Amino acid sequence: MRRCVVLVVCLCMLLGLVAATGSVAAAKTKLVWQVHWSDFQVEGVYKGEGADRKLVSKGLRQYVEEYMKLHPDVEIEIQSVPMEEYLQKVLVARSSGVAPDIYGIYSLWGVQLVQNGILDAPPAAVMKDVRENYTPVSVAGATIDGKVWGIPMEVGNYCLVYNKELLKKKGFAAPPKTWKELVDMASKLTIRDKSGIITQYGFAFLAGWESAVVHPYLGLLWDVGGEFLSPDFKKCVVNSPEGVQALEAELQLFKTGGTDPAGSVWTFPQEKVAMMIMASWYEQSLKQGLGDKYDKVVGVAPVPYIKKPVNAGYTWFLAVDSASKNKKAAWDFLMWLTAEVQKPKNTTRLGDLMAETIGSLPCREIDLANHPDALNDLYTKTFVEQLKNSRPEPNVAQGAEIKTILANEIVEAWHGRKSAKQALDDAASKINEILAEFY
Amino acid sequence: MSPGAASARRRLLKRTLTGYLFLSPALVFYLVFLVIPIGMSLYISFRDWNMLVPLTSSRFVGLKNYTYLLTRDELFLIAVKNTIIYATGTVFVGMVLALGIAILLLRVRGATFWRFVMFAPVVTPSVAVARIWGGLYRPAEGLANAILRMVHLPPQQWLADPNICLYSIMLIAIWGGIGATVIVFTAGLKGIPDVYYDAAKLDGAGPWAEFKHITIPMLKPTILFLSVTGLIGAWQAFDLIFMLAVGGTEAGTSPVRSVIVLALYLYQMAFKNLRMGRACAGAFLLFLIVLGFSFIVLKVLRKGGVESYE
Repeated sequence: MRRCVVLVVCLCMLLGLVAATGSVAAAKTKLVWQVHWSDFQVEGVYKGEGADRKLVSKGLRQYVEEYMKLHPDVEIEIQSVPMEEYLQKVLVARSSGVAPDIYGIYSLWGVQLVQNGILDAPPAAVMKDVRENYTPVSVAGATIDGKVWGIPMEVGNYCLVYNKELLKKKGFAAPPKTWKELVDMASKLTIRDKSGIITQYGFAFLAGWESAVVHPYLGLLWDVGGEFLSPDFKKCVVNSPEGVQALEAELQLFKTGGTDPAGSVWTFPQEKVAMMIMASWYEQSLKQGLGDKYDKVVGVAPVPYIKKPVNAGYTWFLAVDSASKNKKAAWDFLMWLTAEVQKPKNTTRLGDLMAETIGSLPCREIDLANHPDALNDLYTKTFVEQLKNSRPEPNVAQGAEIKTILANEIVEAWHGRKSAKQALDDAASKINEILAEFY
Repeated sequence: MSPGAASARRRLLKRTLTGYLFLSPALVFYLVFLVIPIGMSLYISFRDWNMLVPLTSSRFVGLKNYTYLLTRDELFLIAVKNTIIYATGTVFVGMVLALGIAILLLRVRGATFWRFVMFAPVVTPSVAVARIWGGLYRPAEGLANAILRMVHLPPQQWLADPNICLYSIMLIAIWGGIGATVIVFTAGLKGIPDVYYDAAKLDGAGPWAEFKHITIPMLKPTILFLSVTGLIGAWQAFDLIFMLAVGGTEAGTSPVRSVIVLALYLYQMAFKNLRMGRACAGAFLLFLIVLGFSFIVLKVLRKGGVESYE
C-alpha cells in the first residue's frame, strides 16, 4: 500500500513537472522561418577543428539566437528547404495547416501568393521603411500591384564573368563592352577538337536552367528598347521587332561558333569557359572551384550591350504568412533584423548576413554602402555598380509558368529548331493564353 | 425459418464479419492510401485548383482540363509521345538484351558473379547513376565519345542534341534495369524442362527452332510479367530525365520538349505552374494509357507456358 502511495505521489510530481514545462513553453511566442539557405548560410562559417574551432562569419542561426536572448519570450525555429522545393513546401505546409510564420519569397512567386491571400500586408512602418531605404530594383521586386508586400532580403543581378587568363592568352587585354565585341571575341576564344566538339567555350549559356536562359535575354530585350509584357500585363509583346533583334543577337553567338547548346556555365571553374553572363551569388562557388587561382582567373565586367546597358534583376523578400498567429511578433523580429542599424558599422544584421556570409547583394542602401570589404572585392564590386542598370523581371501572375514557356522557346531557337521570330511568336501566343486567364 | 437455419445464418454472418475484421487493416490501408487519393485526384481533375486556397474554394470546370490537355497543350502531347518511346524502348529493348544475356549466362562459367555485376546498377541510387553517366556523356572528355573516336565514329552531343538525348537517357535506363530482368529471365529459362529440348533435338530442330518454338513460348508468362511491370514502371519515369536533362546537377543542356515525359510534365504542371486540376487530369490520362498498353500486352501474351502445349 505504501509503495502504491509513493508511486502515485511520484507520478503526480512528474506530471506536474511536465505540465509546468509545457506551460513555460506555451507562454513563448513561437515563430517558424522557412529559408532557402543551408549549411554555412544558416550555421555560420567556422575555421579550425575541435577546441580551436572559431566562428568567423555569423550565419542566420547566430542572429536568431541573439534575438531570442534579447527576447526570451520568443522562440524562432529555422526550417531549411532547398530552393527548388521551396514553393512546394509552402503549398504542402499550408494545405496541412502547419504553415511557417515567415517566408523568404522569390518575387516571381509573389503575385500568386498575394492574390490568394497567403501573405500578410506589412504594417505601415515596414512599408515606409522599405520605400525609403532600399534600392529601387529591390523595392520593385517586393512590390505587387503597387503595394509593398515584404522586406527585400536579397537582390540578384547579372554581369559578364570572364576568365582573365584565357582572354589574355588570345591577346585580349580587356573584356568586351558591346555585344558585337562579345560575339567577335567568343568565336576567337572557342577551341574545338578535331571532331568539332568544343573543348573551350568562348561564351557559355545554360539551357537547362530557366533563369540562365531568360534573364540574359530580358537584359538584351530591354537593352534594345523592347518589352516582355504590356504594362497592364494583358499582352505578351516579346515577339516585337526588338524582341526578335535581341534573340537574333544571342543566336549570333551560335552562328559564329562562339558557343553551342551543350555549353554550361558550371564548367567555368574548370577553365573551360572564357565568358558567361552570371549572377552575383556565384562568387563562393568560383572561389571553391578555382582555389588559389581565383584572383588570377576571375574578371567581372558589365554585361555587353547593344544600345544601352541593362541587366535583369530579381529579388527575394521576407514576408509573413497571413494565417500566422504571431504576425506582430514576426514583423517585430524582421524589423529588428533588417532595419535596426548597428553602430559603428552602420549596417543592419541582415545586411551583414547577406554581404559577409551568404555572398549575395543586400538590398538596403546603407548595407550596400557600408560593407567595403565584402562588396568591393573583385567579384561583387561590379555587380553593386551595375545595380543602377538592373531592371527587375516583371511580377506577373503565373510568373514561373510564363518564364518556363519563354525559356523553352529560346532554347528551341538556340538549337536551330525554330527561327527567332517563330520561337518568340510561339512563346507570345502561349503566354497570352495565360495572361487572358488572369488579367 | 427453422431454428437450425437461423443459427446457421448467424454462424455464417459471424464468420463473414470475422473475415472482414481480419481484412480490415489491409482494407483501411488501401482505402486511406489508394482509394481516397485516387477519388480525390479524380475530383480535383474536374476543378481549377492552385493549392494555395482550400480545395472547396476551387472552381468546377467540368472536362476543361482534359480537353485542354488533349486539344491545346502541345507539350502534353509531346510528353505522351516521348513517354511511349521511352517506355516501349526501355522495356522491350531491355528485355531482348536481357534474354540474350540470360541465355549466355546459362552457358558460361562464373555466371553468379556476372549476374551480381549486372544487378549492381539496379541497387545504385539514380542520383549516383545520373552523375556517373553525366560524366561519361560529356562531349569533350566523356568516355562515350572517346569510344566513338576509337572506332572512328563521329562524337555526339549525348545530352544536348535534341535528336538523341532521349535515347541517351533510355540507354542509361536499360543499363540500370537490365540486371533485374536478367535474373527473372534466368529463373524462367531454368524452369523450362529439358525434355522439350531433347524431344526437339530428336525431331531434328536446330538452336533457332528450339529458341523460337520452345524457349519463347515457354517464357511467355515471364515475358508477360516483365512487360507489364516494366511498362508500368517506365510510364512513370522521372528521376533520370529530371537529373540529366531538365534541371538536375548534370548537364541540363537539352531542349525540354525533346526529353519531357508525362511524370515530369505532371510534376511541373502541379508544383511549378500550380495547376493541380490539370495535373490530375493528366494523371488520369496517363492511367488510361497504362491501362490500354497493359491490356494490349495481356491480350497478345495471354497464352503461353506449359498449358499452351496441353
